[in-house]
Amino acid sequence: LSFAEGNTISFLIFISGTHNKGYLLNQFIMFNFGGDEMKNKNSIIFSMLLIFAMLISACSQATTGAPTTAAQTTQPSPTSASSSATSAPSAAGACPLKVEGEAKITFSGWGDATEQKIYRDSIDRFIQVCPGISVDYIPIPDKFQDKMIAQMAGGTAPDVFYVDAQLMSAFASTGQLLALDDYMKQAGVSANDFIPALMTEFQLNGKTYGLPKDWGTLGLIYLPEAFQQAGISEPTADWTWDDMRTAAKAIAAKGKYSGFCMGTDEARFAPFVFSNGGSYTSTDYKTATLDTPEVKTEAQFVADMFKEKSLVRPADIGASWCGEAIGKQLVGMTTEGGWMVNFMAQTYPNVQYKAVQIPKGPKTRADYIFTNALGVNASTKYPIASAALAIYITGEANQADIVKTGFAYSTHPDQAKLISNPIDQAISAGGLLPDSKVQYWGVNTGKVESSVSKALERVFLGDQTVDEAFKQAQQEVTTALSGQ
Amino acid sequence: METQINPSKRWGGLGAAFVTFLVVFVLLMVIALVNAPTMGGSKVMSSVSSYLSEVRKTAIPFLVAVGIVALIVGGVAAVTVYKVWPDRRQRNNLLSAYGFIAPYLLITLIFTIGVILFAFYISFTNYDIFTTPQWVGLHNYTKAFAGFTDPSQKDFVQSLYNVFWYSLIVVPIQTALAIGLAMMLNASMRFKQFFRMIFYAPSVTSSVVITLIFMWFYLKTGYINFFFAKILGVVGIQWQNVNWLGDPRGLFQLIVTAFGGSISSDQWYLKGPSIAWMAIMFQNIFTTAPTFMLMFLAALQDISPTLNEAAKIDGANKWQIFWNLTLPLLRPIILLVVVLGTIGTLQVFDQVYLATQGGPLGTSQTPVYLIFTDALGKLGQIQMGFAAALAFILAVIIFVFTFIQRRFLERGTELY
Repeated sequence: LSFAEGNTISFLIFISGTHNKGYLLNQFIMFNFGGDEMKNKNSIIFSMLLIFAMLISACSQATTGAPTTAAQTTQPSPTSASSSATSAPSAAGACPLKVEGEAKITFSGWGDATEQKIYRDSIDRFIQVCPGISVDYIPIPDKFQDKMIAQMAGGTAPDVFYVDAQLMSAFASTGQLLALDDYMKQAGVSANDFIPALMTEFQLNGKTYGLPKDWGTLGLIYLPEAFQQAGISEPTADWTWDDMRTAAKAIAAKGKYSGFCMGTDEARFAPFVFSNGGSYTSTDYKTATLDTPEVKTEAQFVADMFKEKSLVRPADIGASWCGEAIGKQLVGMTTEGGWMVNFMAQTYPNVQYKAVQIPKGPKTRADYIFTNALGVNASTKYPIASAALAIYITGEANQADIVKTGFAYSTHPDQAKLISNPIDQAISAGGLLPDSKVQYWGVNTGKVESSVSKALERVFLGDQTVDEAFKQAQQEVTTALSGQ
Repeated sequence: METQINPSKRWGGLGAAFVTFLVVFVLLMVIALVNAPTMGGSKVMSSVSSYLSEVRKTAIPFLVAVGIVALIVGGVAAVTVYKVWPDRRQRNNLLSAYGFIAPYLLITLIFTIGVILFAFYISFTNYDIFTTPQWVGLHNYTKAFAGFTDPSQKDFVQSLYNVFWYSLIVVPIQTALAIGLAMMLNASMRFKQFFRMIFYAPSVTSSVVITLIFMWFYLKTGYINFFFAKILGVVGIQWQNVNWLGDPRGLFQLIVTAFGGSISSDQWYLKGPSIAWMAIMFQNIFTTAPTFMLMFLAALQDISPTLNEAAKIDGANKWQIFWNLTLPLLRPIILLVVVLGTIGTLQVFDQVYLATQGGPLGTSQTPVYLIFTDALGKLGQIQMGFAAALAFILAVIIFVFTFIQRRFLERGTELY
């Protein structure tokens, strides 16, 4: 895998012409074929040999590592440091660790242009507080996880990179991630500094393999217009799911808007389950707890709402997801997260919408948290510098700067007050609730999630009763968790 | 003959045979070494010596197995060389032939055959890339078929069920459609070139682009529903909008429901292909039929017009000419198209990856998509061994199908 990967990359560099060898090749071909046609077949054979030799040397160079890519990616950093002068002076804090001198590390993550800018700025601040380290930032916007697994297998993975549930289950138990505990101790950082729920995803057997870089959660998003039309009062922060259902019925009865939008998606169903004291698996992720009254009562709740037409799936009303349904003003309420703020501002700037925190259930109020972390490659050449980068970016000083951009929430609980947008304030409140859980179910996260989503789908389809559907899901998850 | 060969030539033959044996054996062993099933990761891949020490630790059984194969192959090669050595012309032929294919052969051996050997070995192990592969015997193969007895592991069985329906429906329709289109374009008509271009356009467009366009068509508020609503509205029938790519109801289930019955979720295998799956089938037919049309068109233009004229003089009408003359003459191409179509449909991946991700309720799950998700650990741990086993099961199935089709379709084609 890795070999093919390296091959393609070097070949791309090769043909793109940025590589000096590509230039040479062009010159050579021009000389050989562009000139007089008298050169006989010997020269063609010779040129073929030369091309072959160049390809081989290009390959061998790419496998030895950074030089080719470094030349391309390091240059933007200094320039962007000077251009983003607004954020540069605010670089606060000290270097978290006594790093190796002249360390050169690489850092990869996904993300669009906005996210890339935020991380370039973070790296600039890091370089200011820890001078002597150079950081190559290599964003991989698409197929990040596939690429990381391939690079890791071939030993060419970056030193610091984003870690999500899939990479956590692939890398942590197989020793590909560096345990950060010792470095955290030296830097005076403790796992308790972070929002407790976030850390559960990145700890395994008492060791920390990632530091949460940001997070998101769900809030109740609604259109005030729909509530006015139905003549009912708008949601408040002390709402329960029953209040939500009553309002959804009233809105749907008016006919102009649908009541509540929810896909057959475990991520939107989870807050219902948690609010009834339920969960998908036990806390050690070893037993499935889907065939339990706590889960099934809530499944029945949403199934009944669907039956009485106060709950609709996005596809039912011609939207691809519930956020779009709000933007198109098709539905009164839904549960979505902080991504709504940017989405609405860019796509539907004229639609008035509001948010309150997630409603309360029969037992408690709890939310579902989505998070990703920064992890360090276990075989990095510069473990201290890499750990320092991870600790600095996720540290309080840098997180405060990220929060100010409005891009993400800080992973430190006492920085929640820095969130300025009222919509974000309302949504993020759910993340700090004591019973909120993170979207992670051990190494079989994907399997657990798909089983729950499929069970909901069968119920909504009328294919199975709630009892049958969740009994089947329980079996599927049990099989997966048994490691077979 | 033997007696006329002078001794020096025989010794030369023996020497050449020995060299051939050595070259083949060493080459195969090097390829096996490069593709040895060790764990990946920086610690192993950082240097040649760390890789070799890992090979010593874990891949000795693999090397021994390949070594036995290499002995046999080397022996066969040596015997071949020994036989042709005395005859100068044969010897030159053999050497130059292998000399010419050597570069390609070498690359194929390293990057295809070697990898297949690796995958075959891995399919008997539990392998997550980053730890040593553990031998589990046939466990991965039995696990693949566990879905027959244990409904909670039905993924692979269901994916096979899906692609069988896919082949069964797509291959005949696209073949018939391709013949029809080719016949049309072969007839003398106006604007023939224009129609050729129009009909062929879907095939030259990237299947990713076509899938994206179809995803819009298939939306619940999309054009296909709009079209049906308008057409049926003329007759006065109310059309219920269908979420084409999100509807798991099966064909037989729809029929049974129309007659007041029902099929439970436990009997998913009675439901037939789902609406979502049939929507993808339709799109696939639309994309692939023109490719095969081109093959039929080429074959049709090969048929001598004198045959048609002779049939006409004998009093055959157009249908008789088509059924009794054209179609039999097309038989070799029909075989080719059916075999290629079957292989393509059993390996369907890109439409599923883009449009449905195996959903709704696994009714568009396919073996190749399942291999992809398991190999990269999209739904849990990385299971390279299991994925490799699935790949080999699929390869065997494709081989069996192709073999059967050849047996039945190829019979008689050599006449023409």
